[in-house]
Amino acid sequence: MTRNTRVLMSVIYWAFVVYLFVPLVLMVTMGFKDSKFIGFPIRGWTLDWYSEIFRSDEVLGAFGYTMAIALSTTCLSLVIGTWIAAFLGPHKFRGKLIVFALACMPAVIPGIISAISLRIYIQFLQLDTGMAAIILGHTIHNVPFVALVVMARLATLPQSHIEAARDLGADQFVAFSRVTLPYLKPALIGAGVFCMLLSFDDFVRSFFLGSYQPTLPVLIFAKLRSGMSPEINAISTVVLVITAILGIWAERSMRRMNKGTSV
Amino acid sequence: MTQTDTQRAGGRDTVPRSMRRSFWGAVMTNGAYGSVTGFLFKSQRRQFLLLASLPIFWILFANIGPILQMVRISFLDSYPPTVGYQPQLTLRNWNNFFAERIFIVPYFRTLAYSVVFTVATLIITYPVAYFLAKHVKRSSQLLFLLLLLIPFWVGEIVRTYAIMILLGNNGAVNLILKSLGLIERPIPFMYTSFSLGVGIVYLTALYMLLPLYSALEKIPNTYLEAAADLGAGAWTRFRRVTLPLSKEGIASGCTLVFLISTGYYAAPVLLGGPSTTVFAETIAGFFHVAGDQWPTGAAFSTIMLISALAITGLFLKLIGRSGKGLMQ
Repeated sequence: MTRNTRVLMSVIYWAFVVYLFVPLVLMVTMGFKDSKFIGFPIRGWTLDWYSEIFRSDEVLGAFGYTMAIALSTTCLSLVIGTWIAAFLGPHKFRGKLIVFALACMPAVIPGIISAISLRIYIQFLQLDTGMAAIILGHTIHNVPFVALVVMARLATLPQSHIEAARDLGADQFVAFSRVTLPYLKPALIGAGVFCMLLSFDDFVRSFFLGSYQPTLPVLIFAKLRSGMSPEINAISTVVLVITAILGIWAERSMRRMNKGTSV
Repeated sequence: MTQTDTQRAGGRDTVPRSMRRSFWGAVMTNGAYGSVTGFLFKSQRRQFLLLASLPIFWILFANIGPILQMVRISFLDSYPPTVGYQPQLTLRNWNNFFAERIFIVPYFRTLAYSVVFTVATLIITYPVAYFLAKHVKRSSQLLFLLLLLIPFWVGEIVRTYAIMILLGNNGAVNLILKSLGLIERPIPFMYTSFSLGVGIVYLTALYMLLPLYSALEKIPNTYLEAAADLGAGAWTRFRRVTLPLSKEGIASGCTLVFLISTGYYAAPVLLGGPSTTVFAETIAGFFHVAGDQWPTGAAFSTIMLISALAITGLFLKLIGRSGKGLMQ
């Protein structure tokens, strides 16, 4: 590779980084603008928008609601996803590839179609729109991600560990609880935080499955439809900070997993 | 297993004291636990069925159920059910699609946009992925990658809003152009296919970047050196070595980005205008108004799903890949 292409490519990389960060930086900056009008130039700065949203029942309510959904979704997805991984990972049987593809399907179905089919489905199940419906929708979407991460980790578990446990008198359940599960811990933490992230940020499913109480992304969307305001920037910034923290946490636990922590 | 069986047969007293005192020892020597597991783990076959039960149930209930239900509704003349009326089977909902231009145009627009945005994402992210995989030191690759990952954790809505601020009439781009003296009046970027494209590329770039990166990273540098030794120029090396070896990454990346970009709803609503209505907005419209439009919405969703999957399948076939690569 010649020197010129190398320089060109590093320029492209950094330009891409700028493209990714500039919109977010602008959005955060606007949240401190001392005017109701979004746009440049910024003449005065204020923290009022933040003190306003932290006193707003609407925003705090949406935050609690989103968190409750994210936590329930994460617990459910971890159990189901791990179970699927334990089934699909070590076992060989006919038609495994099809079962695997079907298990992963919700992760790749276009968002609007997933949301619409779930909206119809909860009607069929006679489940009202609202928290339970959103939790179900998010769980369906998140399970494949958990299953994939756990399967990746499970593939590296030495079979001899399980055999040793069995030789020492543990049955399948005890061997799973005391050998497999501790070995999966980093994968479970990583996948769990990732589930929180997916659920916390999800818009399309929450929008179609929710009732009057909005989740945070739905609230931002509703407010945006009636016009931009620095208040929305403040809410979005809070969401951004939370997701960044969750993301870095997930990244760290996944990396520790890939380094191959011992049991 | 034999050991525990004999212990169980011999009664609690034969179990070592230390084992009984520990939590798991207590669990395993518990009579109820023993009879439950004795029943469940009796044979290999039973263990397999036990392990398979929840996954199979979940896949049928959660993954296939909603899609089948959507397809079923698309053939009914009324849904959600009203009291005292038995829905009849009909093809009317499917016919609606061909009847009106206002439905067909957004449909083809969505497919065309998704193809264009996918190609744009590929062209933009390929050099980035290449730089990352081949020019950054292995020890710092993770850091460089993390820098790209952080913005992608932020959700769809927040990032869409960020693009709105960037491209608005009083947004940063117009401000810069104005201060450079290039324009006098702001360029109306927003509510056009341009703003929608910038937004979608912004939302999906990672789904392209990661598969490309992992494919490029696997190409041994020695291949490129060998090609160079044999006299291949930079362009030939790229065309004959790098590109074919990164085909798998291109295939998975394009598939993911295409499928995902056909499914965006909020981004087109917020970034697009009346001239860029996409099929997702059309479909959603049937669910906002009163009930009996649902079957048409279901039919349209099914059409969208089939088209998206068919195009992806065709694309993977053309590029010479089975869908398997996607799963890994």
